[in-house]
Amino acid sequence: MDERGANIDLLFRNGLKDYEVLPPPEVWENIHPAIKVKTNAFIFIRAAALIGLVVTLSFLAYRWSREISIGHDSTITAFDIEAASPAFFPSYISLNTITVKERIPDILFNKSLFEDIPENTILSDNDKNSIPEIANFNGKNILTINRVSLQHGPVKSFEILTIDQQYVPEISPVKSTERWSIAAMASPTYYSSFNSGRDGLSKQLMASETPLVSYSGGVAVSYKINKRFSIQTGLYYSSLGQEVDGVSSFSGFKQYNNTKGNHNFEVLTTSGSIYAHNPDVFLIADGPGERILTTITNDVFDPKKANLQPINSTLLQNFSYLELPIVMKYKFIDKTIDFNLIGGISYGLLVNNSAYARVGGSKYPVGNTEGLNPITLSSSIGMGMEYNISNKLSLNFEPTFRYYLNPFNEVTGSKFHPYSLGVFSGLSYKF
Amino acid sequence: MSEIKNIIKGCLAGDRRDQELLYRRHASKLYAVCLQYSGNDEEARDTLQEGFIKIFENLSHYKYEGSFEGWMRRITVNTALEKFRCRHNLYRVDDIDLIREQDADPDNHDYAGLEANDLLGIIRELPPKYRMVFNLYAIEGYSHKEISKMVNISEGTSKSNLSRARVILQRRVGSYTGIKKSVVNG
Repeated sequence: MDERGANIDLLFRNGLKDYEVLPPPEVWENIHPAIKVKTNAFIFIRAAALIGLVVTLSFLAYRWSREISIGHDSTITAFDIEAASPAFFPSYISLNTITVKERIPDILFNKSLFEDIPENTILSDNDKNSIPEIANFNGKNILTINRVSLQHGPVKSFEILTIDQQYVPEISPVKSTERWSIAAMASPTYYSSFNSGRDGLSKQLMASETPLVSYSGGVAVSYKINKRFSIQTGLYYSSLGQEVDGVSSFSGFKQYNNTKGNHNFEVLTTSGSIYAHNPDVFLIADGPGERILTTITNDVFDPKKANLQPINSTLLQNFSYLELPIVMKYKFIDKTIDFNLIGGISYGLLVNNSAYARVGGSKYPVGNTEGLNPITLSSSIGMGMEYNISNKLSLNFEPTFRYYLNPFNEVTGSKFHPYSLGVFSGLSYKF
Repeated sequence: MSEIKNIIKGCLAGDRRDQELLYRRHASKLYAVCLQYSGNDEEARDTLQEGFIKIFENLSHYKYEGSFEGWMRRITVNTALEKFRCRHNLYRVDDIDLIREQDADPDNHDYAGLEANDLLGIIRELPPKYRMVFNLYAIEGYSHKEISKMVNISEGTSKSNLSRARVILQRRVGSYTGIKKSVVNG
């Protein structure tokens, strides 16, 4: 019995050793959504780099704005020693004729600025007029220095003693105190995706895809929480897509199509697999590779011998989303042109998904991209510029970078994370 | 090995393409294992599904020591075992048919000509407890002591179940080869 038992054991062990049975396709369809997608560290590194870039740009814009304000605003900040001194005291000026009247405010200046100025030097009105910088300032309602005294000591100080009555700070346009605003915005959008794929197929897919120039537009409503912060939401329609090269399409396949199922061809793309639901279309890859999954390959059916009509060698994918952004704005420069830092998230609802080939000026429908996430979540960051045309109207210009936190398609891999760059512009009305 | 390493790394990084590649490469073999441990296709599909989810969740624990396929197989078998533990109270093994099978005297049969598909069919006809013990002992190579802990039975029961399973299998293999021969001979 033991020997017979061992024999039967061996029979089954050896017989089933390399046995394989193809599981039904729905098993994988159930598995893949259950697998948690890990967030790659590089996403955070890129996000940090992007934030750094925006902060740097904001700082530069801030500095630039400060310089503009010195030239045009004629405010007391013109006496900020670092900014104002080159205008008032260029190196070639002889500072020996400053007239001194009565003392009003004291402003302590940087020691180094006056190291070369002789003690008790006086700047006369004539000298002021001879200094183009000061003459220009006078022409723009700048204050006239009537009396200045210089003191040498442990700390050399520069004291403005009198400010002429002619100095009236230029008042920038009165800004609206309305809290609500509504804006119509639109933007051309450049769309692509981050890819860290190492395998040949990933590279092949990326190399053969070209983003289409996309657009986005909609209405935004914002509420001003305080002087600096505002919150914005709205409804946008975004259309984006890409060209997939290296896939030739033919029409007229219907008469030869005896296969069962709702599609004969699957084309792998970075945004997911295109399922060719059109029974009349025949697709074939132009080169070698695993791009198209089908049982009807060129060796079993030749589209040229069957006289199928070639359509195009490029497929186009198009996705449209209705987007609901929730954005915070921080106004870091509040001038004639306001500068805002913008950051937030946006939910996108997939409303259209199509794949087609172009015949002349018309579209030849092929199918759609399967398994697209019906809802996307993206983060956005940008810098907004707002030019106040009037109290109520302003012109907006917002370069925005958007990164999709979840990939469009769970099937093709998390390494294809789309992003978009857009420059939104439009008009807003405050009420 | 470097290729599978890359695939595993891709899976760990959340790369869906690598995950799918891993699945496509090994699903057929593991599904055969699942069928071997399951009485019906639905149960086998569930086992494969749960097993693969565990494989992906535990990939970080794989130390690249030993066969990766063996590691996946162990997870799949353990999944089948867990499902068995949950369900075994529902099964009755002392069927009248089986007792009759025990009484049958197995002959020495010519096993030639039996295909893997036939063997799978035969093994799946075993009652769940016998099938589990036979698979664990004869196919996976566990000892009765290990099986007793895994299935939560005594060593004696494990031996007894194995013995009964063998008898049934010998009998059915015999009938099967007999049928096949008669079909061939016309």
